[in-house]
Amino acid sequence: LTTITLIVLAIALAAVAGGFAYFLPAAATALQETGQAATVPSPSPLSILFSPSPSPSPSPISQGAFTVLLLGSDDDSKFSADHVLTQSMILVRVLPATKQVVMLSIPRDLYVHLSTGGSGKIDGAYSYGSAGAAIATVEQDFGVHVDDYIWVGLLGLIKVIDAIGGIDIVTSNPVMDDYYPADVFSNDPYGYQRIAVLAGPQHLDGIHAMQYVRSRHSDLQSDYGRSKRQQQVLQAIRAKAKLLAPSDVPALATAIGGELKTSIGLDKVARLVPLAASFDNPDAIQQVLLLPPYAHSGAPGGSLTPNWGLILPLVHQYFP
Amino acid sequence: VISKFLLAVGLAIVMAVTGVSSYVYLGSRQSKATAPVQKPTAATPRAQAFTLPGTIYLAQAGALYSFSAGRFHQLTPEVGWTQPALYPDGSHLLAVKRSGFFSDVYVLTTYGGVVGQLTNNAASPRNSWDIGANAWSFYPRLSPDQRTLWMSYDGPKYAGAGYFDVDMAVWAIPVGGSIQQGRAWTVANNYTGGDMQPIVVPGGIIYTKYTYDQNGNRTGQLWFTNRAGSAGRALTSTDASCAQPSLSPDGGSLAMICTYQKQVSYLTIASWNGSGLGGLRTMITDQIVAQPTWAPDGSGIAYLAPGGPAAPFQLWFLGKNAYNPPPPPPVPTPSPSPGGPHNEPVPSPTPSPAPVAPVVKPIQVTFNLGFDATSPLAWLG
Repeated sequence: LTTITLIVLAIALAAVAGGFAYFLPAAATALQETGQAATVPSPSPLSILFSPSPSPSPSPISQGAFTVLLLGSDDDSKFSADHVLTQSMILVRVLPATKQVVMLSIPRDLYVHLSTGGSGKIDGAYSYGSAGAAIATVEQDFGVHVDDYIWVGLLGLIKVIDAIGGIDIVTSNPVMDDYYPADVFSNDPYGYQRIAVLAGPQHLDGIHAMQYVRSRHSDLQSDYGRSKRQQQVLQAIRAKAKLLAPSDVPALATAIGGELKTSIGLDKVARLVPLAASFDNPDAIQQVLLLPPYAHSGAPGGSLTPNWGLILPLVHQYFP
Repeated sequence: VISKFLLAVGLAIVMAVTGVSSYVYLGSRQSKATAPVQKPTAATPRAQAFTLPGTIYLAQAGALYSFSAGRFHQLTPEVGWTQPALYPDGSHLLAVKRSGFFSDVYVLTTYGGVVGQLTNNAASPRNSWDIGANAWSFYPRLSPDQRTLWMSYDGPKYAGAGYFDVDMAVWAIPVGGSIQQGRAWTVANNYTGGDMQPIVVPGGIIYTKYTYDQNGNRTGQLWFTNRAGSAGRALTSTDASCAQPSLSPDGGSLAMICTYQKQVSYLTIASWNGSGLGGLRTMITDQIVAQPTWAPDGSGIAYLAPGGPAAPFQLWFLGKNAYNPPPPPPVPTPSPSPGGPHNEPVPSPTPSPAPVAPVVKPIQVTFNLGFDATSPLAWLG
């Protein structure tokens, strides 16, 4: 009997070991990339000025609601590590009670007070002080509280989309660019390439999805138009991610290794996965862009002047 | 001692096998969503379940394929080939070959052999320092007399111009001539991507014009023009956001996709009288449809659509009964019967329910493939 027990135990142990080995890369990546605390500087006088007064008790709708700042960056050799610009900044409010999501795209060229001091384009906040500075800048200028952040590098987005087998997108128009940065998979980070992402429904791999969301030269709406495309791609990634199985996780983790950072801890990730899967109504995802008159050109260095008188009421409507 | 030793060795082997099996098993449980697409010539199951008439030419991963009698044949290597189009007499193919910075239109045999090059869009050697001096040609079509090439083209380009606005216009050039002998037939809207996918119709061309609507959203519209440089006129609204026109073999209908400015793409049909479109009839709303193409024998419409949620694009076919149902059989009128021995009025017959046309569903022709959904299909009867 002892021998049989021993054999059964050994086989069970071996099976668990095989499973452990399979998920080891994912576990290592998860431990490495998640739960990265962002040091948020203490609030500046401005943030006190703009911060909404806290509600005495959360309404049932906002029960469990949280806000995540999505940051997408150049991470090529033009910049040193952790001193990159954030080409994409999207504030996401998740309302689990009503299964609603609000995505607010912040124009990268918005001229704001930076949490690290002085003023400049908001895409520079991360380069001056990493995620903490980006969060603090958004919090102080927009008067919101950011619970967590997720940062993804250019290569990370490409690898994620490839790892999930591509995404389906209906591109509303041809995206043509004669001077698109050739800084990925290139020896010359200052080089250019021509791109033509044709219009209509299509299945995009990582490289072409990146071209679709990153190009802005041939868009009259420039960064605004690009923000719309970024939100389309995020939703397509979400739609595809819902089809994945747990066994896909190691390959995905290997793909994004080093290209993703987040303050969200593993325990919270485990809670969010089933929550994300339950969001199945595309109409419950609201997209908000800060188009004119919320911001207009004319600020220093080609940046955009924010119209805070319009922006803050709008933001507080969706991010109370 | 020996038995314990054997037991230990045996157990070690069993543990190793179990551990590896567990690892391999988990690997085999990966979702199909991430599975790579197969080449059409190697796909399993092979696309033999449903046979379409004639030969369809399609593009996948930079190669052209023909599909006839339920079999695929690879016509070209995977080096940037896309957008096949047939000569009106069916003798040859036109196709685009995409390189890194430019694309050109070529003539190929229907077996994929290159016969000639109709455009030369690479920047000249003295301008090669400026990638903006290269040009794109897309969506080639020939006039019925096969002497004029129609295409979307973003030139002429001048080295050093530094244009950030790259818009395609519809051009017509003589076959065998140069772009200098050609004419721009349309004037593209700035910063839209321009005018795409022309099709030649009697008296002019129909094409997709990209534009900004009153809300600043970029959207597609079908336009018709019958004169070079003329504005032409819009056939569809900006709200419907239609594109990818295809003329029926009898010339009386147009198939297209309409997206209504959302992440959807409906297969839509409208009658065409040579100058205007009839009302839009939406045929398919539960798929993301691309490149609808009429069967030359009028038996239906082939198109590309994902094989599942967020999946690569497969070949589908919609029989003509879906959009052109046969007339219902005549309802037999009850023959009047005499009133009989009593004087009550003849009871009116209970009206039988109107015959309901069977719902015609599209047929998925291929599986596991990944066709280029920005590449029109060419269908030879």
